[in-house]
Amino acid sequence: MAINTEKLSMILQHFVTATTDVQGAALVTPDGLPLGASLPSGMDEERVSAMSASMLSLGERIGIELARGSVDRIFVEGNKGFGILTGCGEDAVLLVLASETAKQGLLMLEIKRVLAELKLVLM
Amino acid sequence: MEIMRLIVTGTVGAGKSTFIRSVSEIEVVDTDTRATDETALLKQKTTVAFDFGRLQFGPDMALHLYGTPGQSRFDFMWDILICKGHAYILLIAAHRPREFRQARKILNFMKERVQIPMIIGLTHTDCPGAWSEEDVYLSIGYIDKEQRPPMIKVNPTQRESVAEAVITLVQRLMESCAV
Repeated sequence: MAINTEKLSMILQHFVTATTDVQGAALVTPDGLPLGASLPSGMDEERVSAMSASMLSLGERIGIELARGSVDRIFVEGNKGFGILTGCGEDAVLLVLASETAKQGLLMLEIKRVLAELKLVLM
Repeated sequence: MEIMRLIVTGTVGAGKSTFIRSVSEIEVVDTDTRATDETALLKQKTTVAFDFGRLQFGPDMALHLYGTPGQSRFDFMWDILICKGHAYILLIAAHRPREFRQARKILNFMKERVQIPMIIGLTHTDCPGAWSEEDVYLSIGYIDKEQRPPMIKVNPTQRESVAEAVITLVQRLMESCAV
């Protein structure tokens, strides 16, 4: 069965609008192609997708070489907010952008929830 | 110990990762990921961040080799890598003329950012439909014979061939330092 891209986009859009402090989300393939996204204006979907893929593969490599085991998530913390990368099954990676005021615990929980939703569509 | 950073760039499937794997003395740090775009028609895996290899070059010089991804969507990696590089080699698959335009794009991208020594490595020259060196020069915009960078044939799967390319690049780097 084909992947329902409309549904993917809807889930992402809903996640971004319904979760406080989340500013954007993108689902991409491990080689950096967009599957679906809801991003702040001015951010290019293709570029964001490629960057997510680079980051994740480098992170995974660090996990292996520096004996940190398999990577659950990659976390970028800046003074203007967070960028969080999480694997979403074999064939996708989720990037979430959140503002600096976001509560991290809450954010992780929300990401976990949306991941479960996305995985159902990707199956 | 002096460290020279050489950047290996070029089109998709030209042999950048193989190039580095052939000469590196350490196990290459790669970021290969299963390809899902048109790259998948060519090969199963593609570099999404960079490849890294190391080569001892004489008693007091080490070469660090960085390979870039080939696709334009990773041009931020081209940027990061080239800005730290001392010299670079542009690999072009001679038998895929449709990608010469991409090679030219990469070349222009690099030229806009840095003026460092470079050479062109022509790969897949033994494949059917391979273009001659002269034709490749012309197709990527080097009309004037005086202004051309050196071009050599490379077989990325052969250590000796890759070593020769690396030596040529280092020589070019040395010449530019001497001036």
